Amino acid sequence: MFFHIVLERNMQLHPRHFGRDLRPKLVSKLMKDVEGTCSGRHGFIVAITGVENVGNGLIRDGTGFVTFPVKYQCVVFRPFKGEILEAVVTMVNKMGFFAEAGPVQIFVSNHLIPDDMEFQSGDMPNYTTSDGSVKIQKESEVRLKIIGTRVDATEIFCIGTIKDDFLGVISDPTS
Amino acid sequence: MSIEPFNRLVKLTARAFYDDFTTKGDNQSKSGRADNRGIAVVVLDALTRRQWVREENLAKDLKLHTKQLRRTLRFFEEEKLVTRDHRKETAKGAKIYSAAVAATADGHQTGREGEEKVKLHTHSYCCLDYAQIYDVVRYRMHRMKKKIKDELDDRNTIQEYICPNCKRRYTALDALRLVSPEDEYFHCENCNGELVAEGDKLAAEEMGDGDDNARRRRREKLRDMLQMFEEKLKPLMDQLNRVKDLTVPEFGTLQAWEVRANAAARSANGDANSNDPSKSSQAYNGTPMPFLGETKVEVAFSGVEDKGSNIKSENTSTPMKVLPPWMIRQGMVLTNEQRGEVKQESNIEGTSTAADLSEDKKSVDQKDDKNLQDEYFKAYYAALLQRQQEQEESIKVEQESFNTTEGSSRQVGMKAKREDYDNDERDENVEWEEARTTGNTSSTFKVDLNVEADASGDDEDDIDWEEG
Ligand SMILES: [Zn+2]
Repeated sequence: MFFHIVLERNMQLHPRHFGRDLRPKLVSKLMKDVEGTCSGRHGFIVAITGVENVGNGLIRDGTGFVTFPVKYQCVVFRPFKGEILEAVVTMVNKMGFFAEAGPVQIFVSNHLIPDDMEFQSGDMPNYTTSDGSVKIQKESEVRLKIIGTRVDATEIFCIGTIKDDFLGVISDPTS
Repeated sequence: MSIEPFNRLVKLTARAFYDDFTTKGDNQSKSGRADNRGIAVVVLDALTRRQWVREENLAKDLKLHTKQLRRTLRFFEEEKLVTRDHRKETAKGAKIYSAAVAATADGHQTGREGEEKVKLHTHSYCCLDYAQIYDVVRYRMHRMKKKIKDELDDRNTIQEYICPNCKRRYTALDALRLVSPEDEYFHCENCNGELVAEGDKLAAEEMGDGDDNARRRRREKLRDMLQMFEEKLKPLMDQLNRVKDLTVPEFGTLQAWEVRANAAARSANGDANSNDPSKSSQAYNGTPMPFLGETKVEVAFSGVEDKGSNIKSENTSTPMKVLPPWMIRQGMVLTNEQRGEVKQESNIEGTSTAADLSEDKKSVDQKDDKNLQDEYFKAYYAALLQRQQEQEESIKVEQESFNTTEGSSRQVGMKAKREDYDNDERDENVEWEEARTTGNTSSTFKVDLNVEADASGDDEDDIDWEEG
């Protein structure tokens, strides 16, 4: 699920940036540092949408670096148990398949793939129904439901299922 | 539009899900009466026989404490089976409701309406919400089934993996770390052994018998549960399917319902109800009296558009006056309940109709327009018979028969007597309820006694003495 929230971060800036462009430098550094990172609490920071407030800088003894407390608005993505996501399959093996929904990696184990889909090994390993009408392979798009998340301080990993109504392949790369 | 399949649905639901509902925290918890299991069933059943009802009246009818009833109703409101309405009432507002109740021939307070002291405080009303009940029950069944099935299929459970060499366990959440570039299996971080999914044969062997048995027992239990679910709730499922394509009975909001009921009553008052004791309530309501005299059949039609065809057939084939739709519906329901007994009793004399009443759940398919008229007659005869019995019991038999054609005051008196009779005869709430309903209907149908006297006199010898 996506959220638009306000976060705060202490930015350290090298003295060479002190000048007319101090603020733009600060913002671009913030984007570089923060976008794409993940925190267990808020999820993945997808994009910064604005800087609310830059506080007074504090000069560090000895180094000349200055620390600015920056409040910024950003879009975060945090997967939840029970959430339905659309994801792209990245790898298929005998144990199941891996997929990605944006920055989130999801594993669907083979017992959470419908029983009528069988694993086919080969150059392009895949899960296929007996009549061949539905095929899950690399690059397939699937709709899945998250049934478990592992949230570490810097990482979120999910496991999902496609064994339920309206879940499964939504677009086939071959067709 | 028939309400009966929906009532059956409500009754089945009550018995399936709310059988052991108790209101906790009653003061009387020390005595045996504290165990009020089944109260939910009683209340829901009672509501199937009513439309909007004031909660105090319902409590009185069910001989329940108001608090207890209110707690039960609040529970059902949360369960989305019942809609409630609370309003601060002026004397006038209460009268509108009373009139509406009288009009539906459903209310039990018609007789005592006059004595009722209307005060300016909040009254609560409740009513079954059939549309919502259908949805709620369907959803509940769906969730129950899904839950059991999901458990059975191991859905939504996180797969575990085990290393056959070093017995180290992993879950699917570790998957990312376990994939190997060489083959399509997961490998142990420890010894690089090939992991097996727990629950597979190998794992089961490794784990030993105990664990496997536990899992198997669990699966068996779940399967039993699913089977039980299918078996025991089949009647409910069937009823849901039966009701699926029917129009859901809607009473609307309390206000809308009152307006409708009163309007219908007004349109019918002119002819059919000329002797109805309940009509006196219309006077309270400010219905202009001259209007009553002038009412024509057409007026009645305008009040009952949707049921036009039914009414028409009844109207054209008999000298009977047009009855409003709600009256016919009530009549039908009762007749169905009485059906067996009524047939018997047209020949046998002196058995109590009320005593034979049972809470049977007849299927409603039998009801169609053709039967309507027959049903009506049966109800009418049943009412006649019952009245007769009461008269036999009463001391003033002669007076009664003499006064049948007289004004409403006489009949109000009779009604009071009937209620006493009911109270004596039946102590149990549920059946007493039924009896009451019958009593009331008979008083409604009594109206037609005079109109119909000569027609019925031919069929029923017993009635002759009444007219003399
Ligand atoms: Zn190992």
